[in-house]
Amino acid sequence: MKTLDVRGEICPYPMMRAVDALKSLEDPEGLIVLTDHPPALGTIPWEAAKLGYEADIEPSGGAEWRIHLRSSERQRSPQEVLAELSQQLQTLGVGG
Amino acid sequence: MQATLADPGAHRVRLSLLPGFACLLILSSSLAVGQGAPTLAPFWFFGLAFGVILQRSRLCFASAFRDLFLTSDGRAMRGILLGIAVATVGFALIELRGLPNPAFGGLPRGAHLMPIGLQLIGGGIAFGIGMVLAGGCISGTLYRVGEGYVASWVALGGILLGLVAATHTWNWWWLTTGASAPVVWLPSLFGYGGALLLALAVLGAAAVLTVWWELRSGPQPAFALPRVAPPPAASLREALARAYEQVARRGWPFAMGAVALGVLNILAYQFSHPLGVTGELSAWANRGAGLFGALPPELLGTGLLAGCLLVFETGTPLLGEGFFLDSGLVVGAFAAAALAGEFKLRFPSRPVRYVQSVGGGALMGYGAGIAAGCTIGAFFSAVPSLGLNGFVFGLALLAGAGLGVQAIRRIA
Repeated sequence: MKTLDVRGEICPYPMMRAVDALKSLEDPEGLIVLTDHPPALGTIPWEAAKLGYEADIEPSGGAEWRIHLRSSERQRSPQEVLAELSQQLQTLGVGG
Repeated sequence: MQATLADPGAHRVRLSLLPGFACLLILSSSLAVGQGAPTLAPFWFFGLAFGVILQRSRLCFASAFRDLFLTSDGRAMRGILLGIAVATVGFALIELRGLPNPAFGGLPRGAHLMPIGLQLIGGGIAFGIGMVLAGGCISGTLYRVGEGYVASWVALGGILLGLVAATHTWNWWWLTTGASAPVVWLPSLFGYGGALLLALAVLGAAAVLTVWWELRSGPQPAFALPRVAPPPAASLREALARAYEQVARRGWPFAMGAVALGVLNILAYQFSHPLGVTGELSAWANRGAGLFGALPPELLGTGLLAGCLLVFETGTPLLGEGFFLDSGLVVGAFAAAALAGEFKLRFPSRPVRYVQSVGGGALMGYGAGIAAGCTIGAFFSAVPSLGLNGFVFGLALLAGAGLGVQAIRRIA
């Protein structure tokens, strides 16, 4: 699986580079994004959801996180994905 | 979708060195300020709260403006509009108390009211471009300085350079446009009730516009699903652990941070004057430039105005209200980041980011210098002051952010 390392990047490049990578992604497994930018935990899954990807966020310690983005298995409307995501983000306490 | 972080037992309170150091730093510096400068201590605590609020809610004015263009996302902007609305109600009450009859021609003490001239519009546009290039506005840069973003340290250098340049050109802007431009304080035209209603209506309409703007771009979540309430805590210990987790370890929603910042702004105005971070930075920038012989002339017109004005006076104390506010912001953000496990020295991986940070910082510094304020002083404190200038500066920021997004899309 491809890994995109955006550690050290300033806002909003972690999100922009993750979205660019997803747009050209052919691997059905998805994409791993490594980031040390807390606001990106809100923006990357949110923008990925608009492209039909689901996200799992795992803290990897030392103010770094691993975001696994994979194609949504179930056929759902973008509204459903976003509504679910907005709940997940609220539980995680990131984003708005 | 599994929320890996959502498990309440997933991260316990970690006793590592950094949070301990942060607590010690807060305690010792607060004691020192309280002992050495008791009348300035409130500004130290306002600064600490400022930093904690910005860090915990990741309240970033730059992203609020930028994401309207970059991702058609208005969530952060709506949070900020709500915070401004809260502050507006408080400011109106403070102004009413100090100046019961607004029609007599006076202006309320300390309110951030500026002439609406080209310096305000040009400064706002330059600031809007700069904050998008540098990845944060001036308060955003300060809190990221505390979080360990090396690019923000570089941006701060750019801001100081921009403020020196603004100091040396202030008189030209003042004589060309500022001195003859109108200062419009809404209560003098509509009374307090009318001005307050008008300001709240404009803020509400702006929030509705952002929703329309989002929907225009594609599907959005129409509602947030109701949050599943956790079972009641079994013990006091568990309840306290949960509260700590919520406040110190997890991020706060934007709206909560913005409302907290609005309340903080009311407290600051009630005590002395509204929040603003730029004036103090300009004092230090000009002290630094003075060492190299760059002594500016007397700044015209600044005695007539209140707000985040450029400061260059030889008699200004080194450790004043602004110093404690700005340094408290950095220390508060550092402590909040350390407790949340989010502090890290982050070096940009691409050299171009350093160039962007200096350039964006310089544009912000210059813009904030000539417009007399940043997103805080000229917007978040100016709209609640019921000055038309706050709304005009906000529109200029929006235009600048739109241009800035065009620029960052071209910089890989």
